[in-house]
Amino acid sequence: MTGLGEFVDELVADADAVFLFSPGSSRYESFAEDADVVVVAPENDVDAASFVELPLEFEDLTERVRFGVEGAVDNGYVDEEATLVCVASVFSGGMDTVTRVRADEFSKSGVYDLFANSRAEPAVIRDVLEVAVELGKKGQKGKPVGALFVVGDAGKVMNKSRPLSYNPFEKSHVHVGDPIVNVMLKEFSRLDGAFVISDSGKIVSAYRYLEPSAEGVDIPKGLGARHMAAGAITRDTNAIAIVLSESDGLVRAFKAGEIVLELDPEEY
Amino acid sequence: MQVDLDIDWADAIRAAFSEQGIFVASIAILIFGLIAGTLVWRIAHRYLREWGVSDAVEGTPFERTARGLGTSTVGVIATIAALFVYVSALILALNVAQLGNPDLFWSRFTGYLPRLFVAALAVIVGLVLGDKASIHVSERLKSVKLPEVSVLPALVKYSIFYVAALVALAQLGVAISALLVLLRVYALGLVILALLSFWDMLRAGAAGIYLLLTEPYSIGDRVRIAGSEGIVQEVDMFTTRVESDGEEHIIPNQKVFKSGIVRIRD
Repeated sequence: MTGLGEFVDELVADADAVFLFSPGSSRYESFAEDADVVVVAPENDVDAASFVELPLEFEDLTERVRFGVEGAVDNGYVDEEATLVCVASVFSGGMDTVTRVRADEFSKSGVYDLFANSRAEPAVIRDVLEVAVELGKKGQKGKPVGALFVVGDAGKVMNKSRPLSYNPFEKSHVHVGDPIVNVMLKEFSRLDGAFVISDSGKIVSAYRYLEPSAEGVDIPKGLGARHMAAGAITRDTNAIAIVLSESDGLVRAFKAGEIVLELDPEEY
Repeated sequence: MQVDLDIDWADAIRAAFSEQGIFVASIAILIFGLIAGTLVWRIAHRYLREWGVSDAVEGTPFERTARGLGTSTVGVIATIAALFVYVSALILALNVAQLGNPDLFWSRFTGYLPRLFVAALAVIVGLVLGDKASIHVSERLKSVKLPEVSVLPALVKYSIFYVAALVALAQLGVAISALLVLLRVYALGLVILALLSFWDMLRAGAAGIYLLLTEPYSIGDRVRIAGSEGIVQEVDMFTTRVESDGEEHIIPNQKVFKSGIVRIRD
């Protein structure tokens, strides 16, 4: 086994920092003694000094590492040229995977930026993403459906859009993340137009026709009007948009006119 | 909360039996008491466990002390209950057989016993409840990293201890009117302090309920409130957020009410 041992030694040699994904506290303490440790987890259970909050349980390790690295660079925990060793759990159970990565290996996708530096609270964005994913999984009566959620900066979004019909959410106080929202999912998909959601997660309106200026919005060819509207409204306001595509079933998140996140509901 | 056993059981039983019968009856009462006590101990154990008492008191200092003595909170309560039954049976048997003089002391003691039991129970419940509450409060305040905040859990804990001690002392018949006055003053002080410090919050909350229910303005409307003009971004219980170019005004709701709202329609 000397070959394997040497390989692992080489893998972890002269790393600038260690990334621990959802570690236990005893594991964290044994690592923290002799290395720079950044903890990436849904909650800071171990009271780590360098901590990146993971808003979604990314199934794909690459996505998880990308999110952690972008978060750590953004917070200034590590340099952009740093060499990092990631310890994570891929299969069920404890830590089972070690990977080595350079912080500048990823082209910056802005996925961390989407959660941390948007107007809306991270928990609200996560809830909306979950609603979109759920809708993508279920569809309506087995048929795929599309939906567009505009999150944050609701006042400005309302002024840059007009109602297509009566607003079913008028004088109601429904927040994304309320259990009732999951019940309403099926009804949601029948409504045309966009949903507008405020910074704190209140569903302000449905049936909104967005009227931003679409000038200079560049989204990949082949995506339809819904994605174009999402890209344009996020360029025109400080909102972000989450789109469930009717044609390919993917969930995409837009910020400042760019796609920053692409999720497949079936894998999530 | 005072328990009185005024019926004279001993006399009633004596009237029902002959001379030898009384002796047999008192022995039967003793044996019955032993069995009943054991049964009470078992049932208390089982039901307290089923109700999740042993999980609920986990980690409190009282439970730890009990563990140190080789028992547990559930054990202590069950033992006290069983002891209560044993002693009651013993006294009843003694009274029936008229071995000890059925004088004032015994009848008083039987009357006193349930109160002693309730007092002990009050102390135990108070200790556990106080510790639980303080743990709960300090967990809720964990994210507030201020050293001054650590006063709050202790305050909650000792308030509950004080009330439990008052209940126990009242059961034992000790004069507690002076302590009660102290409790009233303390409670009044708390209420006044809370009213004073949360006065603005209360007013904002009351105004906020009206604003949320009737929605005189909603998100996206252009309004002018107390001199600040802009687009409404958010309305919640306590504040209204109005945003104009590069400026976000966070206006307490009672101010919205006081100054009135100008809705701007162009």
